[in-house]
Parts: sequence; C-alpha cells; structure tokens
Amino acid sequence: MSRTVALSLVAVLAVAAAGLSAPAPEVLFTSNQLTPVEEQEWARSTLLAGFTRETGISVRFVTEPEGPYVDRLLAEARAGRGSIDVTGTLHGIFPVLVAERVVRDMSEVQRQLEARRDRTFYRDLLAVSRMEGIQAFVPWMQATYLIAARREALRYFPQGRNPMRMTYDDLLQWGQNIREATGERRLGFPVGPRGLYGRFLHGYAYPSFTGAQVKKFRSAEAVAMWQYLRRLWAVTHPSSFRYEFMHEPLLLGEVWVAWDHTARLLPALRQRPEEFVVLPSPAGPKGRSFLSVVVGLSLTRWSPNPEGAVRLVEYLTRPATQVLTLQGVGFFPVSPEAARVVPTGGLKVMAEGVSAQAGAPDARTALLPVGLGARTGEFVPIYVDAFRQIAIEGRRIEDVLASQARRLEELYRATNAPCPPPDPPERPCRPD
Amino acid sequence: MPEEAERARRLLPGAATPYLLVLPAAAYLALFVLYPMVQAVRLGVTDAQGAWTLEHVRRMATDLYFWPAVRYTLLVTALAVPLQVALALCIALLVNTRFPGHTAFLYVCAIPLAVSDLAAGLIWLSLFTERGYLNAALVQWGVLRSPFNFLSYEHPAWLVGAIVTTEVWRATAIVMVVLVAGLQLLPRDYVETAAVFGANRWQTLRHVLLPLLRPSLQTALIIRTVLAFQLFATVVTLSGRLVPVLAGETYFWYSLYRNPHVASAYATLVLLLSALFTWVYLRTLRPEGEGA
Repeated sequence: MSRTVALSLVAVLAVAAAGLSAPAPEVLFTSNQLTPVEEQEWARSTLLAGFTRETGISVRFVTEPEGPYVDRLLAEARAGRGSIDVTGTLHGIFPVLVAERVVRDMSEVQRQLEARRDRTFYRDLLAVSRMEGIQAFVPWMQATYLIAARREALRYFPQGRNPMRMTYDDLLQWGQNIREATGERRLGFPVGPRGLYGRFLHGYAYPSFTGAQVKKFRSAEAVAMWQYLRRLWAVTHPSSFRYEFMHEPLLLGEVWVAWDHTARLLPALRQRPEEFVVLPSPAGPKGRSFLSVVVGLSLTRWSPNPEGAVRLVEYLTRPATQVLTLQGVGFFPVSPEAARVVPTGGLKVMAEGVSAQAGAPDARTALLPVGLGARTGEFVPIYVDAFRQIAIEGRRIEDVLASQARRLEELYRATNAPCPPPDPPERPCRPD
Repeated sequence: MPEEAERARRLLPGAATPYLLVLPAAAYLALFVLYPMVQAVRLGVTDAQGAWTLEHVRRMATDLYFWPAVRYTLLVTALAVPLQVALALCIALLVNTRFPGHTAFLYVCAIPLAVSDLAAGLIWLSLFTERGYLNAALVQWGVLRSPFNFLSYEHPAWLVGAIVTTEVWRATAIVMVVLVAGLQLLPRDYVETAAVFGANRWQTLRHVLLPLLRPSLQTALIIRTVLAFQLFATVVTLSGRLVPVLAGETYFWYSLYRNPHVASAYATLVLLLSALFTWVYLRTLRPEGEGA
C-alpha cells in the first residue's frame, strides 16, 4: 500500500520535474475581458485551442476583474520582468499601461499585420489606439451598449412612433404604458454594483441631453436630464439595483426592455432569438449618443516569448477569428473584411440593432474617458453616486450636482486629463 | 564553545521547550497574519510617497456609503448573531438528548457549513426574486394573486430581513458545532445532581447547563461576530449596494475604484471593530470563579 503511494509520488514528481526542465512553447495571455465563466470556457476550448492546433504553442489564458488584472501587470512592470506575454483590455485602460511602461509600441506589429493584405482595420479604431506618441494596442474587438426588448413589449410602444428611432421620451412613455397595462414596472437597467449603468449615465444620457459627458455636468440641461431620469426610474423594475447582467432578468421575464452591453444581452438573444428585438439607444435633445467600446491587444515590454505573442495577435485579428469571436461572445469585428460575413439567429438581431444605432442620422459617438491614470476607477462612481442620491434617496438635484461636480473637477485637475469626446478637447477638463 | 552547547542542551527541556513548540505557529501567524495586517494598516494611513496622512480615513468617513455601511453592518450583526446563537443552542440541546436519529439530524443541520457564502446568497436569491421559488409557491397556493417583490429598493426592511434569514441559515451550523462539542464535554454528574435536587428541565438549563457552557458560548459569539463584520457575498448578491456593509465597501474601493488606501482604511476599521467586540465578549462572558 505505502509502496504504491510512494511510487506514484515519485512518478508525479518526475512528471513535474520533466515539465520544469523542458517547457513547452507557451504564451501567457491576460485580460480583463471574457471574465464570465462561459466566456472563459469558450476562449480556452474554442478560440485559443484553434491557435494551439495551428501553431503548437499553448496559451495560458488568465482573465480577472480589472483591479487584480491591472495590479499584476503593474507589479511585473515594476519588477522589470515577468511572465505575461500578451494582454488584451479596454482602450480606456491603456493610458495607465502606457504611463507605467507596461506595453510596447505596437506600430511594427501593426505594419506586419497590414503587410499580410488579408485584413484592414477601421480607421477610427486605429486613431484611438495611438497615445503618448506610440501605438498602444492593435484593435482586437469592439462592442457597444444598446436596448434589447421582448417582442411582446413592442405593442406597448407609443403609438405612431418608430422603435428604431426611439427618443428618451418614447422610452419613458413605453415604460408608463407597460405599467398602466400590466401594473408592473418592466424597464430594466444594470444598476448593481458591477453592472454598467454608470456607462449609461456618462456616455448615453449626459451627451444626449447636454451634448457633453463632463463639461455640462451641472448645467440646466443636466438638471432637466436628472428630472427625466427620476421619472424613468419610477417605471423601472424595483430590483434593478441588483441587476448586473441584463440577460438574466430578460430571460426570467422580470424585465421586458433592458439596456446593457452587447455581450451581456447576447445570451438572451442566443437562447430565444425569435422572442427579442434589439433597438438603438434613445435620442435626446442633443442627439443619439452611444459609447464605442474598443478592446485592444498589446505585448508587454518584458514578454518572454515575443515571437509566440506576435503570432497570437496575428491569429486573434485574422478575419476568420474575428467572425468566430463574434459568434462566440458577441464582440464585433475590428476589420471590415470580417464585418461582411452575415450573422444568423440572435447575432443577426444584435447586428441589426448595432448598425441601426451607429448608422442613425443623429448618432454621436462618445468615447470612454482617458488620461485619468491610476484614478480611472473614480470617474464612473461620481455619476452613479449622483444617481443614487437623486433617484433613490430623493435629494435635491442642484445640491447633488454641485457636490459631485466638485469631485469631478478635482479628479480632472489632479490628473490634468482632457475631456472625453464629444466634449471639446480641453485639458484639463473642467465642468462649467 | 562545546561547554555552551552542553549548557544549552541541558537548559532546553525545561525553559525553552514551550517556546520552541510555539515557534512554528507564531512564525506562521507573524508572516501570514500579523505582517499583512500591519501592511494594511500602514497602507490606510500613508500616501503614495509613504508619508503619514489621514486623507484616506477622511475620504472613507465622508463617502456616501460610509455611515450606511457602519449602520447596516451593526444592524445585521445585532439581528443575526443572537438568532444564530439561540437557534444553535436549541439544536445542540436537542441533539444532546440523543434521540434516535440524532446523528443524521446533526449532519443535516451541518449541511450549510459546506456551502460557500456566495452560493448561499445565490440559493436564497433564487427563492426571493420576483420569479423565485417563494413567489411561485405563494401564487400556486393562492396566498398571493401576483408575485410580490421582496427585493425592492422601496422596502429596505425586507432586504435586511432577507439578508438576516440567509445569514441565519448559513452560519447557525458553525455555532451549533461549537455548542454540541461544549455540551458533550460537560460531565453528566451535574445534570444528575440537579435532578436529585428536584430541578426541572428549565431550571437545569438555566442554572446548570448555560453557566457551564459559557466558554463555548464565548467562543461561538466571538467567531460569529467577527465573521459577521466580514459579511459580504450574501449581502452583495441579495441587495447589490443598496444595503452597504463594511467588508463590501472594502472590496468596492479596492476593485471598482482601484484605491487600495481607502480600502485599507475600511479593512482597518473592520479589524478595530472585531477586536473591540472580542474584548467585550472576553470581559463580559468570563467564566465564573475561574482565574479569581
């Protein structure tokens, strides 16, 4: 008995030692995207398995929430060495990585990719990838936020109005109609702690009502917007404060009309494509603002396997892989070559909504704030805290906006960051 | 040199043995508990350059969620811990009567011990939501005509009730285990003597068992109260941030706002509160007659 145990122990140790002495070619790829368990599973067993089959290079994929994700990169940067080869994250996080000298200038890799002639990249995505004089990342995938609704809810949509050209007034009226007809509040927003409602406030509502994300924070238009949001909250599902992924309440039927990130709506569309429609985000007095989310790939300066890392970047940006990514996790391609492939099922529903939003005549693109460095995480809570005080606690709008504007101003003054588009390019940004 | 070594060897068994035996545990605690704790406290009161500052503490105390978090943490603790101890005491006394099947009963009661707090939160969430099991059952039985929203921002009391219920379900078992162990250590003689003097069950419990159980109760209370201050996953699952708690704020300041300084200030506050309550329990529940 003990002999068997001892023998197997020796065997295990021998295998472990062999593993140490002759490492298989490997690339360590970290990200704060694809964190939900199903997406991680898909990334490992489908996306990256394809790369390993083709090249024989195995990929260790580590995906974590933003905090630990950035910390690990910064820790390796400060140590001057580490094991991470490739990292993929939001455009808004790259300024931190560039400032802390985490990532390489990707211009050379970009040139190699374009020399292959099988892919081009959308020009506006390449434009945002340049910061502090370098190209911080190669565009990998993109996403946006919009509205998904149950088809049966459409019959409560305001009479004579077009859902594909929805305004904020239509949305409110829609929620009121549902409430009058059913007695229930069926609009839903991801107001939970890890939900993305903050993006709705700064990237959708603010620019649509005031024309700016930061500059008009406490303007008269902003006060009118908050009065509107209070009325909207009154027809919003009272459990919205804990929603984080809107596909869940949509599938349960608690919510009929939900605003969220494409990847967080997609599971509902995938399960029951015929039951849902995807609609553009609403338009306000200053247009139909929406956020364009860009995810990029970059090599770390200390990458132990840069050749493998570049091959992985090539594989992930290849049009065929881009289509695979769209089908797998609902992130949209960054190259027109991949975008020509016509999707089916739930993805088709989603793609129609996305192009209706981006192609609307009154569309305005807002970008995530950049330049706040280590204090990036403080931006969104300023908006969410204002919402909590105004809509949930019922405090006076002008007072809340005045105190939150002071926080916003301090944040921008301390970091000397520019206003995020569509605000005027002012540095440091300062709310009026 | 050899002389000294000889003397040391002679000295060893008497004076140094206890210290040598304690050394591994002490080294472990110093390295993995004490050192991180000192680091956390330091992080809470120094700025990025390492200079002493109260700025993080000020930011914590003026934060929108700070006072609600303090209030709700104390409220949930004050509601859940007495319920847990009372319920656990009932179960422990019942098990101690050794009725047929008491072992199976004990195991069933201990099941929640094996469930992580996040999983417990999710289990109870699936009960309490609008489309949850509880509403489905109540509508099915005709108690309600349409589902009732237990988890609504309009009824914070319901939210707290759901959290306390979940906590009682989840953590009564640990108190029960401590109390069952304590009861089994008590010699039967005391109970038999009480019976000889004509004490009824209530009198036996009140004047014999409970005083003897004091050390176990003390342990259970300390464990539960300290853990209640760390309460986090169940609360966030059921209430988002509508019912903020101190441990949750620590997490949000670290992972959402990416500010380890303020997060450490919160962690230090949780540490101080835990230490304070432990001290109070140690003072007030000191076993009678011992050490006097």
